[in-house]
Amino acid sequence: MSRSSERAIPRAAAPSFVRRVAVGEQLIAIVSPLLLIALWEALVRIRILDARFFPAPSSIVGTFTSLIASGELLLHVGASLKRVLLGLLAGGVPALALGLAMGLSRWARAALNPIISATYPIPKSAILPLVMLIFGLGDASKVALVAIGVFYLVLINTMAGVLNIQPIFLDVGRNFGASRLQVFRTIAFPGALPLIFAGLRLGLGIALILIVIAEIVGARSGIGYMIWQAWTIFQVERMYVGLVVIAILGWLAALIIDAVERVLIPWRPRR
Amino acid sequence: MAVDKIVLSGLTKVFPTGYGPVAALSSVDLAVHEGEFFVLLGPSGCGKTTLVRIMAGLERRTSGEMTIVRTDAGKPLTAMVFQEDSVFPWMTVEENIGYGLWIQGVPRPIIARTVSRYLEKVGLTRFSRAYPFQLSGGMKKRTSVARAFAADPEVLLMDEPFGELDEQTRVLLQAELVKIWDENRKTVVFITHSIDEAVVLADRILVMTAAPGRVKAVVEVPFPRPRQAYEMRADPAYGQLIHHLWGLLREEVLKAKAEEVAANVPLI
Repeated sequence: MSRSSERAIPRAAAPSFVRRVAVGEQLIAIVSPLLLIALWEALVRIRILDARFFPAPSSIVGTFTSLIASGELLLHVGASLKRVLLGLLAGGVPALALGLAMGLSRWARAALNPIISATYPIPKSAILPLVMLIFGLGDASKVALVAIGVFYLVLINTMAGVLNIQPIFLDVGRNFGASRLQVFRTIAFPGALPLIFAGLRLGLGIALILIVIAEIVGARSGIGYMIWQAWTIFQVERMYVGLVVIAILGWLAALIIDAVERVLIPWRPRR
Repeated sequence: MAVDKIVLSGLTKVFPTGYGPVAALSSVDLAVHEGEFFVLLGPSGCGKTTLVRIMAGLERRTSGEMTIVRTDAGKPLTAMVFQEDSVFPWMTVEENIGYGLWIQGVPRPIIARTVSRYLEKVGLTRFSRAYPFQLSGGMKKRTSVARAFAADPEVLLMDEPFGELDEQTRVLLQAELVKIWDENRKTVVFITHSIDEAVVLADRILVMTAAPGRVKAVVEVPFPRPRQAYEMRADPAYGQLIHHLWGLLREEVLKAKAEEVAANVPLI
């Protein structure tokens, strides 16, 4: 093709090319995991993979459907979800308030930052025995552990979000004589919102990790309990079902956060 | 007889820095008249911005006196248009323009009326619901100028508002600014380092010295209003005034340069 005819490509051609690339990307994103699963199935059937440790995807799906049919899976997922949501609320809400305060006030930062910095690196799983001692063996201890994990991530990100707001915006508020509460509502909170969402995203990830740990150690329901129980009776397929369910939950949670973010932060250019 | 709106006497500002105290302003005496378009002209780093930030209540003075005369207790004392992009990215154009009024607790219907009036004045009616990331640089500047005017302050402060814009957009916005200002003749203090911009806009021009900033001269701009900036530039009086201002400024620019070089010597 000559140069001049290349230049003559009408403008409308560009979007259709972009669309073709986008469709191609989506196709690859769907096909590649399917291929991996097919490979896994094949390797188990020709006995290269040991079915005792890596049961064939087809048998995992079979266990999956029977667990759904019996209502057992729903029970466990429901129990875990309830604990995660309560933990998110119990940890996220105070973290948001405290993070905004620490971002805005030098004094609050000076008073609380050393405590936060010192306690943040303690592995949350290491304090599970203490949490169970305080909150008992029931739901409260699971909710508390998730809350503690979420608390730090939301707090630290919210504070960073406020501190990252360009000083010029605070100058505008001060110049117009905005009160502390007005600055909070119109500048600090919306300005920190993108990082608050980053904190929520990380918090949700840690929440899923912690809930499984807590349920493995001491629970009568939940996905973690299901996986542990499957180990004790050597039902490897059930363990895999538990893992797959956690992966799906994590993926769904990311989708929900994305959607909420699009509604709450309409002012950010889309990438 | 002109009524004084802003009176500064012996105003001094010293910043403590890691290299010891640095004087930004040294004993500034100045009176800006009510309803006047007052331009601050000076070499970069001479403390123009510091002076205006003190007027805006964003910086404290080290010593000296400052009075801004209030005529209406219900209005904000000042509203500032900043040099940098200061339009809130999380608010739409109309929310940005109404911000000052909202802070003052003005009822919503009145805010809406004022905002739509200023949207029209700056030609952004079609973009009232747009977010800043969807706007060009010029449109963002129009939004921040409209935000300051809509707040209806006693004094408007503008810190090189058009500094970052390209030449054509700047000339266009200067004309729009004068048109809006002409309707209510608020007291304006406007910073620029462009001599042409100073002459086109100002009633009086204050030429500042190199750092620490002091008053070097106050120059009257004799051109009557309404002005036609394009025709004005062809007037021999315009050329003379530019020449005169350049003469005043040249010394200060050279002095600032010399100090910069001197300050660098021990480092070499």
